[in-house]
Formats: sequence, structure tokens, C-alpha cells
Amino acid sequence: MITNLRKVAVVGGNRIPFARSNSAYASASNQDMLTAALDGLVARHGLEGERLGEVVAGAVLKHSRDFNLTRESVMGTRLSADTPAYDVQQACGTGLQAAILVANKIALGQIDAGIAGGVDTTSDAPLAVGDDLRHLLIKLNNARSNTDRLKVLAGVRPGMIVPAIPRNEEPRTGLSMGEHQARTGARWGVTREEQDELTARSHANLAAAYDRGFQDDLVTPYLGLERDQNLRPNSSVEKLAKLKPVFGGPDGTMTAGNSTPLSDGAAAVLLASDEWAQERGLPVLAHLVTGETAAVDYVGGDEGLLMAPAYAVPRMLDRVGLTLQDFDIYEIHEAFASQVLSTLKAWEDAVFCSERLGRSEPLGAIDRSKLNVNGSSLAAGHPFAATGGRIVAAAAKELHERGGGRALISICAAGGQGVVAILEK
Amino acid sequence: MTTIKELSGEPSILAGYGKAFASALPVVGSLPLPIGLPGGGGDLPDLELRAPLTTDLNHLAAYAKVCGFTLRDTLPATYLNVRAFPVHIALMTDGSFPFGPVGLVHLTNTIEHRRPVGVREELALRVWATGLDLHPKGRTVTLHTEVSDAAGEVVWTAASTMLRTGAPSGPRAERGPDPEVPASVTWRVPGDQGRRYAAVSGDRNPIHLYGLTAKAFGFPRAIAHGLWTKARAVAALEAQLPDAFTVDVEFRKPVLLPTTVTFGSVTDAKTGVTSFAVKDRRKGSAHLVGSVTPLKPVKKPRATARRAPKTTKKSGATS
Repeated sequence: MITNLRKVAVVGGNRIPFARSNSAYASASNQDMLTAALDGLVARHGLEGERLGEVVAGAVLKHSRDFNLTRESVMGTRLSADTPAYDVQQACGTGLQAAILVANKIALGQIDAGIAGGVDTTSDAPLAVGDDLRHLLIKLNNARSNTDRLKVLAGVRPGMIVPAIPRNEEPRTGLSMGEHQARTGARWGVTREEQDELTARSHANLAAAYDRGFQDDLVTPYLGLERDQNLRPNSSVEKLAKLKPVFGGPDGTMTAGNSTPLSDGAAAVLLASDEWAQERGLPVLAHLVTGETAAVDYVGGDEGLLMAPAYAVPRMLDRVGLTLQDFDIYEIHEAFASQVLSTLKAWEDAVFCSERLGRSEPLGAIDRSKLNVNGSSLAAGHPFAATGGRIVAAAAKELHERGGGRALISICAAGGQGVVAILEK
Repeated sequence: MTTIKELSGEPSILAGYGKAFASALPVVGSLPLPIGLPGGGGDLPDLELRAPLTTDLNHLAAYAKVCGFTLRDTLPATYLNVRAFPVHIALMTDGSFPFGPVGLVHLTNTIEHRRPVGVREELALRVWATGLDLHPKGRTVTLHTEVSDAAGEVVWTAASTMLRTGAPSGPRAERGPDPEVPASVTWRVPGDQGRRYAAVSGDRNPIHLYGLTAKAFGFPRAIAHGLWTKARAVAALEAQLPDAFTVDVEFRKPVLLPTTVTFGSVTDAKTGVTSFAVKDRRKGSAHLVGSVTPLKPVKKPRATARRAPKTTKKSGATS
């Protein structure tokens, strides 16, 4: 039975500082990091021994043995062991999608409180054996006699021993995400200068957020890190301009500076009904109003791999009767500076908005001073599934500090997908 | 008067071995107590060793993996046991000690975990010994370890009682019945468990390494380190441990490798004391019995956990 929908409060968030790949967290597993992020959230909100409705999280790069990663992590925390959990995976959209899933259950009254999160490690990445060797090993395991086993083993070839290393590559196009975005960026005429400018601002904004204590109750130190390892407070357009392009060929505009680095980390966010928060004396930082997910055909069609948020946002705005300008802050995940800029240009473009979105008017420009006001992935790093939790918690806290307002969250994901959401205070 | 020796650097898990195992030859280790060793504690040197201590994260991660702990921003409750080990060896090989470490049988280990210790904390370690106490199978010596933080506050202590087998010197102690602890999980302990723990603890006592080397000391197969068994048990309980507690264990029958053992725990709702046991899967006899007793936590110098900010507007207000 569905009763009236309830408001969903963002109560708080916690993450560990994000580390660069094969660095500070090289020895930590996904389960270690997710447990650390959850336990910090539990400690900060006094949830020791509490049974929550559910914990939903995931990882993009996951070992097959970690099939129940979130539940296993929950059992290592101080939450009640009676708290159920499940894993989700929607590439870089994982964390935000997890929050939408938990929020929906709270809105429907199925649960009162839950945690959404995500974790990823590019250091402790799963290596798989190639398909040939895998099939052979399965045969070996099924063999009944030693003779059979020897026969199977005789089929081993040296080339089979090379492991399959996970690659940042779209299975259907064979192109890396960066190469895809380089094409999209070129199509929208995104310049090197504006990418470097966006990057420098991301670093400056995140550094300022740390300096004013904004991150104090959003981040818990872990294994020697207190701040995100990728953060360069002294980054500047001049320094960024010296970097060589890494995507789009020798004339490309995308560099290691204006693209997010591979990183390790975990984030979690506590969601609840207003009553649940009130009963425990916990604040309501903001409400998660709604979410939307879109996908685009980047294989057979001619849309860019990371352009799905450009479709998801207008669909969501129409549904709730808002315009693109009705927001006080915009949190657009910086997979690449070029991705953010392509999306903004598309919304300003009359032809795109008419032909692709079927709108008579373009969505228009946003006030750039409201974009990623506390920095985003270019500065913090981007452990794929952890990004959603980082953004939801930071945006909610920003609205809380302002005493009100509305935030638009947009995250692009592999597979031509995009997850977006609205927070309100 | 106590002689205090400051070790020049941090205890390395590789240090002290040449010296320790110079006396490790089976012949020496199996000798009875030195002739003329009188009773009482007067023969232990009044010696205290001190060393500074910081945490190497790679070592911590390796230890956590071997023992089943989650890699956290605070040290596993049993971790400092392995950091103290080389200092124990240094103490027992000092020359003034009446016997070397090899051949000693570990009877008990008690840890007082006064507060969670951060992985970045600068610590100081003190080690000394008391004994020799009377025992029906010889004499016992107790190694004490105390770890303090930068403010000089003691954050962690441990006491390990070891038996030096020899002529009976005391009456058989009456042992009360063990608390009923039903087995809830099984652990498969592989044949190389001793070598794996030796690599992270530095305790390369031959009885833990291979069947052959263990046989030389009278064991049919290699046996697991007692402190590994304890660490594995504490790791199994880690999600329910309070910030401050004592964890005592008594080592009973050695764990012969490889094997499958059971683990179980039960918490007394009235006292909050958790009893746990590692047992032989078939016979049900105990390898290790222990208990966790909550303590009143001491204050950390700097709180890492903070609650959400006070709201400036009325909580729950919406746009």
C-alpha cells in the first residue's frame, strides 16, 4: 500500500580523502575503504548499534569475491549487524543512483533511514585470467581423473597466462573515455583555455573549502591523508597551460590537468525521513527532491559518450516545472573539464535544444559563479562510485550553510549514461 | 634500581633474530632449566627497554590481511603485540636474562586497549619482565609492554606470560569451568599460516614454519602462532569492540597446521563481557579461550569524530 510521499532529508555525509592511484591507499581494499567511510558516518551521527533500513553502495572495479561488498562492509562497522545492504553499479553514476534508490524507499515509507555510498580503487584492481585460460581452469576443476587433468593441462599455452587488466575503455567502441570526450569537446568547440580555467577554479574552490573548515564534518582522515591527494591549491591557468595533451592527438586540448586522474576512495551519505532525523536531534541539511537518469546512443547514433546529463536535466526540469536558471548552485561532476563545458554549451545551443531535446527555446546559460562552488572531481579526484556520495553531501551542506536554496547535481557515466538530481533546502 | 636502556631506533621486525636464534638450536632449547636457578623473581634482570614507535602503513596492511582485520585509520587492538615482539627478543637476549626466548611456551596474553590509537600517532614503548613465578610444569615469566602517546598518556598495555618448562615448582592451579561458547563459524587455517604470520610478526620460531622444523622441537606438525590465533579472534569481533576494553586469552592446545577450527563468542548482557573460544572442530577441545571486558574510555587528545554542524535555521525547515 502506498501512502503519501514523504520528504527525504540529507542528514550528513562522510568520506575519506581521495588518493591518487597506487599511492596512499595502495594497500587498502574496496571493503577497507567503504568500511572506513561508513564507520566515520556512524561515529559522526551516533548510529552505533542502530539498525538502518538499508545501506546501498557499489564499486565499478570490483573483485568477483566482493559480490556482497556493501553487506560485508556493513558487518565490519558499528551499525547493527541487522542492517541489510545491497550493491549497485552504474559506472560513475553509482553513488548518486544509490542515493536515489534509498531516497525512493524513504519517500514511499518503506524505510525510515538509509545510507547510500560508493567506493573504488584503481590500485587494488581486479585482474582476470583470459577467457581461454578461464575455460581451461573450469575444465580442470571438473576433471575426474589425473589422466583427464593432465590432458587439460597439456592445453595450456604461454599466451594464456597474460592476465586481462581492466581498462578505461568502452567495450563497444574500443575508445577510452578521454578519446570519446575529445571528440565531443571538438564538436562543441571547447578550447584549451576554458578547460584550464575551469580546472584552476576547481582546485581553488576545493582548497578554500578545506581552509574555511567546510570539509571538517564531511571528510575523516584515513591512512595518513587528511586532504585529497590530487588537490593543488596553487594550481593556475599558467601552470596548467604547460601540460601536454593526452587525448585527441597532438593538437588535443585535454591534458592530465584538465582530466580527472585515476583515484581511490569512498564516500557515504545518510538519508532519512524528517521525523527520523528530528527524533535523534540530527539536522536536515537539505531534501533530495527527485532524480532522473538518461542514456544516449553513442555507438550507432552520433551523440557523445558523456552527453547523457544534457538530456536527463531538461527531462527532470520539465517534470518538476523548473528552469535551468532556478538553482542557487550547480554541481556538475568534472569527469573532464571538457565534459562540463560541452554540456553547458549544449544547453545554450538553440539547434541542439531544438533538434535533440525538441524544445522551442534553449535551456540557456547558467551563472558560472554558482558552478562547483566547493570544487569538484578535477581537484578532489574521482574514485568512480564514490563521487556521487561526495557531491550529495557537499551540496546539501552548502545549502544548509546558506540557510536555503536549490542545487542541481549532474553526473555523467560510462555506457552513455547520466544521473541527475535536485536538492532543496 | 631499574636499568633503563633506550633503543636507538624503532624496533624493526627483522631485528634481534640472529641473537635470539643463536640459542635456538634444538639442543639448547630443549635443555632443562639451568642448574641452580632458584625460585622467586630475583634472577630476572631489573631492566627496562624503551623505544619510539610509529606505524608503517604497508606493514600494518600486511598484518591486517594475515589476521583478517579491516584496514582502518586506527590500529587493530592486537597490532602492537607484533611491534613489541622485537623488543621482547632484545630483552630476553640481553645477556642478563637467565634464558633465551626459544622453547618458551606462551600461556596467556592480556591486552588493555585504553583508546583507539591512530595510525599516524607517535608512540613510545616500554618493555620489562617479571617472574619467575611458580608453575606445576616449570617457571613462568611475564613480559610487560606499555605504549604511550605523544602526551605521555598510556594508551595500550599488554602482558604475556610464558612457561619455561622444567621441574614442577608450584601446585596445579584449579581452573573453573570455561563459559559455554557455542561454535558459530569455521576457519580453514592453511599449512603456510605460520610462515605467513612469521613474515608480518618477525616471529620465525621454527615450531611455526615447517613440519620438519617443528618436529625438531617435539611437535608433530608446524603450529600456528598463539598471537595469530588471538588476532584472528579479535578480528572476528572487531565490529562489536568498544573504544576501550581488555582482551584476555589463555592458550590451550596448539593449533596444528593445516586444520579447520571453530570460533564462537557470546556476550553477557548484564556485564557486557564477551567470551570467545577457538576450538578443535571434531573434538571440541579448546585451542584458545578468551574474553573482552569493556573499559571506561580515556579521552583522545584530539577528537576525530565530529557531529554535523549546528543549524543556524530551525532544523527541518524546507524551501
